Amino acid sequence: MIERWALVSGLKGDLDTYELIQKDLKKIPGNITLFVLGDMIGPEKNCNRLLHRLINPKSNDLQPWCIYGWWEEQILLESGYRGDQRAEALRINKGEEVVKSLTNAVDKSFLDWIAALQFGFVELDCGLIHGSSKDVGENLTLDTPPLTLLDRLTRLQVNRLFTARSKQQFHLELTEGIVNSEVEDLNGNRKKEQKVPQKAVIGIGAGKNYTLYDVGTDNTQFVQAGYKTEKRIKGFGRL
Amino acid sequence: MNQAVISCLHANLPAVEAVLKDIELQGITNITCLGDLVGYGPQPNEVIELIRDKEIPTCQGCWDEDVVDGLDACDCSYPSQLAEKRGHFAHQWTTDKLTTENKDYLANLPYSIRKDKCLFVHGSPNSQHEYLLPDMDAFAALERVENARAEILFCGHTHQPYIRELADGSIAVKIKNAVPKDTQEKEIQLPMRRIVNAGSVGEPRHGGTKATYVVYNDVTNEVKIREVEYDIELTCKAIIDAGLPPIFAWRLKNGFEFAEQAEDASHVCER
Repeated sequence: MIERWALVSGLKGDLDTYELIQKDLKKIPGNITLFVLGDMIGPEKNCNRLLHRLINPKSNDLQPWCIYGWWEEQILLESGYRGDQRAEALRINKGEEVVKSLTNAVDKSFLDWIAALQFGFVELDCGLIHGSSKDVGENLTLDTPPLTLLDRLTRLQVNRLFTARSKQQFHLELTEGIVNSEVEDLNGNRKKEQKVPQKAVIGIGAGKNYTLYDVGTDNTQFVQAGYKTEKRIKGFGRL
Repeated sequence: MNQAVISCLHANLPAVEAVLKDIELQGITNITCLGDLVGYGPQPNEVIELIRDKEIPTCQGCWDEDVVDGLDACDCSYPSQLAEKRGHFAHQWTTDKLTTENKDYLANLPYSIRKDKCLFVHGSPNSQHEYLLPDMDAFAALERVENARAEILFCGHTHQPYIRELADGSIAVKIKNAVPKDTQEKEIQLPMRRIVNAGSVGEPRHGGTKATYVVYNDVTNEVKIREVEYDIELTCKAIIDAGLPPIFAWRLKNGFEFAEQAEDASHVCER
């Protein structure tokens, strides 16, 4: 049985988009696991209906597996779930109004659920996170130095890293790496050539732009919710 | 010009005095200290005051930070509950002994010192609690230096002195699923970088009993590890007299300090 992952992020309270994605996914045969990599909430619109749906899926919904993202981190900070810290970075960069909009967009009854979300998932040899293994707010993009990407992969000890924070969709393979290391200590000198096996970082997009990943073939497909889904999916692996 | 880099003094006054004497005998006046002035050892105020008197530029170490801010490292720092218990006892003992003035001094130490192409830190550019071990993943090690925009990274924290050169590196990348459809490939050459660990003056963990530090020549780029003998018995007696755990003295005397090394020392503390 073909196994695919649907990787979604940046819904920011948009239930309509979530329903479109659910509708898309129902058309795909085989096993699909739905991961929501954070930013379910945001300051732009009321997020309660989406949060309620994620926590209480409809009977025919794919069960969403959620982690927290940057906006969840901000509301947890502002609501006192991270000790004495508050959402100061958000306050400085976006202003007090945005902080208020965010806290008004999410009913307090959802905060415990948000606080219980994990930083990320490790499935098979893949890390599924919002930002990076260093920070939920870190943007990984095609322009991020490969050395940094390799480090973020190494920190999670995974071969593929799915990230959402940049909102971009990309599939960057680190096909080969080599570095020579020479260490001198009180026991003498030793040299070692270190190589890295093939690894990849995948940007999954945000909002209507999401990613399908075929676990068996390592293929990604970048999809826009509701946009010629059936035709595009026919070209993706064996359907 | 030669400069000396010292680290992890750990309130061991006889060791600090011996190392400073050795540096003086070589005619070196440029000294940088990578922190951990206190912790484990019996003379925290004396060591701080010696460093202050000599106006040696110093980074804040993990012990210096914790003594000021309270223990806020996660449990990764210790390999066992017994080691953690001893560490907490030493932390409390040191906190009680330090004068307010010396606590203020530790509180105001910088996390890093930059001198041209050299960056000086206690653990790593990321954290005072991160261990850069000599055989850690070479790419991760190179990332620490490169992302800190340094050519040579001086660190301590592991108590094991070493010089590591990372050279002739490259990473090949390929963009799959690109828009437009053509696959883009490129190879990135990595710069040569060095990590120099100064070891420990006050609590060596290199398998011997001698204090260690390094001498760096910024003209020839040569780095030498120096080993210095000191009056260990004097420090051991002071540890026992102070009521600190006797194992701290035993470890110094026998040159066996690996007991306190975390099992996964490459773990990054997520405080």
